[in-house]
Amino acid sequence: MAEQFPQPVQQQLYSLNLGPQHPSTHGVLRVLLTLDGEYILEADPIIGYGHRGHEKMGENRTYLQFMPNSSRMDYLSGLLYNHGFCLAVEKLAGIEPPERAKYIRVICAELNRISSHLLWFGTFLMDLGAFTPFLYCFDDRENILDILDRVSGSRLTYSYCRFGGVARDVDEVFIDQTRAFIKRLRSRWPDYHNLVSKNVIFIHRVRDVGIIDKDLARRFGVTGPNLRAAGIPFDMRKVEPYEVYDRFDFEIPTGTKGDALDRYRVRLEEMEQSCRIIEQALDQLPDGPYRQERVRLKVTPPRGEVYFAFESARGQTAYYLVSDGSAYPYRVHVRVPSFGNLHCLTAVLKETLVADAIAILGSIDIVVPEIDR
Amino acid sequence: MAAKDEAVRRLRELLGETALKEDPDFRAGISWTVSCAKESLVPVMKIFNECGFYMESLTGLDFQDTLELVYHMNTYEPRSRMAVRLLCPHDGEVPSVTGLFDSALWQEREAWEFFGVRFSGHPDLRRLLLPEDADFYPLRKNFGKVHAYRKREEVYG
Repeated sequence: MAEQFPQPVQQQLYSLNLGPQHPSTHGVLRVLLTLDGEYILEADPIIGYGHRGHEKMGENRTYLQFMPNSSRMDYLSGLLYNHGFCLAVEKLAGIEPPERAKYIRVICAELNRISSHLLWFGTFLMDLGAFTPFLYCFDDRENILDILDRVSGSRLTYSYCRFGGVARDVDEVFIDQTRAFIKRLRSRWPDYHNLVSKNVIFIHRVRDVGIIDKDLARRFGVTGPNLRAAGIPFDMRKVEPYEVYDRFDFEIPTGTKGDALDRYRVRLEEMEQSCRIIEQALDQLPDGPYRQERVRLKVTPPRGEVYFAFESARGQTAYYLVSDGSAYPYRVHVRVPSFGNLHCLTAVLKETLVADAIAILGSIDIVVPEIDR
Repeated sequence: MAAKDEAVRRLRELLGETALKEDPDFRAGISWTVSCAKESLVPVMKIFNECGFYMESLTGLDFQDTLELVYHMNTYEPRSRMAVRLLCPHDGEVPSVTGLFDSALWQEREAWEFFGVRFSGHPDLRRLLLPEDADFYPLRKNFGKVHAYRKREEVYG
């Protein structure tokens, strides 16, 4: 008797381009969605609009000339990328920076991490339709940019590190400003929690949405806060300690389920942990030279290669450098965390609502120029 | 048993003693280097998958005499990164590992468009970062201005 029933109406599938002009996408990203009603059947992120060929440029520049390129990949945590590149070249060439330089780098890198997380916090909530937290965050972030501007001379693309040290020494004013900023940020936490973390509308939008569990994270190579939200305490600062991170007492916040709410909580807690690192580093900051004198501007590392992984604001980042013994690297490859984090969307967005897609995209915290390189 | 030791034991069984090289100091950021032929790539990756590794990065190196693919595999334990190195001629073809690691879907697309290595069995080998009609392989050393184009033994010899 089944044939007496009318055949179901042909499925009304249609495609929707999310981005590049969509106000809630970050950077120039287009996600091609195939929709059935309001449900997403397939999501295909289309990237490459910001491809500049940093890896090719690296082959034609000396190591120091590549330093400005490194902060232009992820422009929100440029100093972390400088720091990582600097450490990779130092490891390759066998340069040992003085103690003071190591502490200055860690303080500045953690400040940059907080500023990156603050920007994510603001834009994520703006994606969800809340405008007020955005203004609060940018107010706080402005403080960090002012502090870093004073020592490095730049607000976003710092290029502050040098092989064997940093470009300029820090002074008492920097230390006072940093301490004052941490005090101020800590006084803000109650505001943030009252405004957002306890907000019923917010919790209902992000809880149980966009779950990235351990298995999915492994298959797609997801790292950083997105992985830690799934419950794996994997942070390069602890797992493969570099610089002086093994001298500080800090924790790796983790989540349990790996939904958007967990990712939100992990990042918020990470800012507090960064504050703890900065405080300890300021207490221990030694005197002495801030830069090794005997490093040539044109470093020539011996033949060989190095794969140096570090933790940027978005996850595990790595520089793979191959040297042929000349002043120019034979190959520069950058492993960027957002690459895997964005790729994961193809699986996470399946069978979710369009409105949730915005919340998921925001909670993953991608920076598209980093993927395009 | 740690995932790394398990993987090393099984790789030894599969490839023999000489294919694996250890760096106990972790100086270059890699604990073990696995030299692998094209035929044994999929079995090797299968071992990594079963031992709980993820594919951290896939990249290529262009030399005058050969292309080289480098897969960096890692697991969530300290100092356990391993590199799988595979030589491949300039017009060669390499089996795809997309059946084992989903992340290879994009990483192989990237390696293909930048180095011109074909991955046999890849379900969707389109350009990822470059324009759809690009007919060049930008990271090969015969494209654009390069500082040096060397043979493999000049760098690794």
